[in-house]
Amino acid sequence: MIKIKGLTFFYGDAREPALKNINLTVGDGEFILIAGPSGGGKSSLARCLNGLVPHFYGGRLKGRIEVEGLETIRHAPKELATRVGMVFQDPENQLVTTDVEREIAFGLENLALPRPEIAKRIEEALDTVGVAGLRCRSLHELSGGEKQKVAIASVLALKPRVLVLDEPTSELDPQGAEEVLSILQRLNDELGLTVILVEHRLERVIHLVDRLVVLSAGEIIADGRPQEVLEARYEELVRAGVGVPPLIVLIQKLKERGVPIERIPLTVKEGRAVLESVFREGIVHPHPDSLPSREREEKHTEEQAEPAIEIENLWHAYQQDQPVLKGISLRISRGEFIAVMGRNAAGKSTLIKHFNGLLKPLQGRVRVFGRDTRGATVAEMARHVGYVFQNPNDHLFADTVAEEIAFTLKLTGCGDIPRRVEETLARFNLARYKDQYPHFLSGGEKQRLALASVLVAQPPVLVLDEPTRGMDHRLKNELMQFLDDYRKGGNIVILVTHDVETAVACAERVILLSEGKVVVDGNKKEVLSRALLFSPQINRVLQGFAGYGVPQDILTAEEALELVWGG
Amino acid sequence: MQISLRYKDKGTVIHRLNPFAKLAWVGSVTLLAVIFEHPLFLLLLFLATLPVVILARAWREWVSLIRFVIYMSLVIVIINSLVMYHGTHVLLEFTFEIPTLGNPKITLEAICFGLGMSLRLLAIVSAFTVLNFTVHPDDLMLAMIKLKLPYKSVLAMSMSTRFIPTLAGDLERITDVQRARGLEMDKGRLRQKLKSRGAVLIPLLANSLDRTVQVAEAMESRAFGALKKRTYHREIRLGTYDLVTVCAAISPFFFGLYLRYLGYGGYRYYPSLQKIDPGQTGWLFLAALAVLLLLILPLAWRRRRYILD
Repeated sequence: MIKIKGLTFFYGDAREPALKNINLTVGDGEFILIAGPSGGGKSSLARCLNGLVPHFYGGRLKGRIEVEGLETIRHAPKELATRVGMVFQDPENQLVTTDVEREIAFGLENLALPRPEIAKRIEEALDTVGVAGLRCRSLHELSGGEKQKVAIASVLALKPRVLVLDEPTSELDPQGAEEVLSILQRLNDELGLTVILVEHRLERVIHLVDRLVVLSAGEIIADGRPQEVLEARYEELVRAGVGVPPLIVLIQKLKERGVPIERIPLTVKEGRAVLESVFREGIVHPHPDSLPSREREEKHTEEQAEPAIEIENLWHAYQQDQPVLKGISLRISRGEFIAVMGRNAAGKSTLIKHFNGLLKPLQGRVRVFGRDTRGATVAEMARHVGYVFQNPNDHLFADTVAEEIAFTLKLTGCGDIPRRVEETLARFNLARYKDQYPHFLSGGEKQRLALASVLVAQPPVLVLDEPTRGMDHRLKNELMQFLDDYRKGGNIVILVTHDVETAVACAERVILLSEGKVVVDGNKKEVLSRALLFSPQINRVLQGFAGYGVPQDILTAEEALELVWGG
Repeated sequence: MQISLRYKDKGTVIHRLNPFAKLAWVGSVTLLAVIFEHPLFLLLLFLATLPVVILARAWREWVSLIRFVIYMSLVIVIINSLVMYHGTHVLLEFTFEIPTLGNPKITLEAICFGLGMSLRLLAIVSAFTVLNFTVHPDDLMLAMIKLKLPYKSVLAMSMSTRFIPTLAGDLERITDVQRARGLEMDKGRLRQKLKSRGAVLIPLLANSLDRTVQVAEAMESRAFGALKKRTYHREIRLGTYDLVTVCAAISPFFFGLYLRYLGYGGYRYYPSLQKIDPGQTGWLFLAALAVLLLLILPLAWRRRRYILD
């Protein structure tokens, strides 16, 4: 049982509260999703539940927080550990020891439990999470998903009544994320554990939870059963920048236009049932000819110009006899927007590191604007190929924002630096932070700065490795809009992503890699429709309505609406 | 192929040996390397580590480390011969003045002294490779706690080794990021180079600080420091046989101490090199010391059989 009354919290010397007048009661065995935009106070609220706020972070706190009968203001996290288990975002940063068994034992040793009890609890924790097979493995050999499961096991060993998880899947690939979420569901279902999950991607978890709490600007703006919240508060959620699943967007848009829908569907299966009745009763009729996007694409494929990037039979291996890329051939022209997808270790990152010569082909040839990368240094390639990595913190080192941007210009030997810096600052909406220290910016601003520091050199090819991982809906949209504009300027944008919805939103061409080979390469409509794992939610919902004249290559809610209402 | 300098359980008799025995043995060799000056004694210490390294199947890693020590030795010899000229056998005399050094005289004695020091360093590093490559870091931690070292210091040490691969990954990634921005690490003058290093080291430092806070948070959430006392899931048992092995591993140290007391094992480099031959009894003692140093091998071997039986 958790009772929060009138909670307001300020960090250190902050003028704005991170949490504002929070009232929340959580019953035993509930599964609660805390969603909302970045900076909305989700993580702060999670950290209130085991006393990290205020015992670890300091700050000013008003109100009452009672967890399992203990007031967190009086009890430090180490005392609350047996009542509230906490799992964090980055699996790498919450593991203390070097192997799985010792990791699970760590908390139990801290509680000074006798040795037989420790041994028993390790067994239980391993089995509950289903990682008994990893028992003697070194932690550094495990995948992100496996590490996160070990982190859950090591927290469960302390037998908490409440499990709090702060974006546990945002560093994981889709498969790892899926496994972690199904463990949570089982813990909640079979053990009756109260689960409080912080997550901003609703489509993954909305169908698992009993209750949805939405935080924005430190306040709870919605709280209730997921269906009710999504139905009654839809407008507010969208305005606050919450990433509403595409299926819900489609259904809401249909309702706005007078289509009678009683229950908001949360899963693909429920979505199909709802649409089935809508189509069957003839309330709406699909007009496949009214899709204007069709023609546009066909025009685009005609102008097959000179390829800007040519890859011939590319092989690469980090270790002998273990090739990571096996004979890849690609041609990429100016103005293309490409998403590179595939499982973990399929060779995606290895492939894109060949575009700017960070890696050189073991065999085969990579030519960028006619230049063989083997004969060029990375610095020379940097003028042509910009490369943005996932974590903006890896980019930023200068003392001020302006210097950070100027640095790239100096390196690539561009002239007229002050003017170009000013221009870039304005374009990325960073002008007012000009003289600030980059690390003091917010997450979204840092991401913009990292992008700005690469794009200031105007590289005709832009490569991004998982840029949207951990980004909330609004930032993602902002980035995608920007990338699309950049492509329209005749540049090439190549994006590595796990996120199908991101790929669908703006890429034209999708390259699917597996085991170091190109499995499919083509227009996103061909690659992403009717695929088993890689189809976006709307496509999966609309599968099976071919009989009503619904084309099977519709990928987004917007397209689906165009189909029904003719744009 | 890349050589990993991390612990890896290869399951050899040396890996199976009780961590305390290995600690005692490495301690003995190290201390002996400090108290002995005689090159023959130092050479013996170095040679005694070889069979252990070979039996532990860690020679590949050993070679990559020792190669580094040999470079360092070279530096020691050169510096020593440039700054020390107490020797009487002058090999080369500088006719011009070098700032701060004056007119160095390179003497045979100074070179030999440098070589002697290098031998000492080699013996110590070689002994430590045994500890590094055959004792699990957590076992080492447990052993140190049992030796009454404070838990928090030991944990901090063990965690710093835990984060080395993470840090190495960060470093590689950040280097890629900055190179992709056009940074050339080894270009330009010193000032430029320092700035280039900064572009990599500053994000690395910032990332590490973030990690530190997050790890602290995670530990706190798992009851770290909740109680004054703590228990340990695993314990290093010290059976009778292990005790015997530990005693055997320390024995060369006490024997060596006794030899030093008798006046063996010392050596004079300046003003001219002492005779290297330790004399008949000297050789005899050297042989005895060798036997004591290698005693650990049959004991390790027998222990394996003992467990199988």
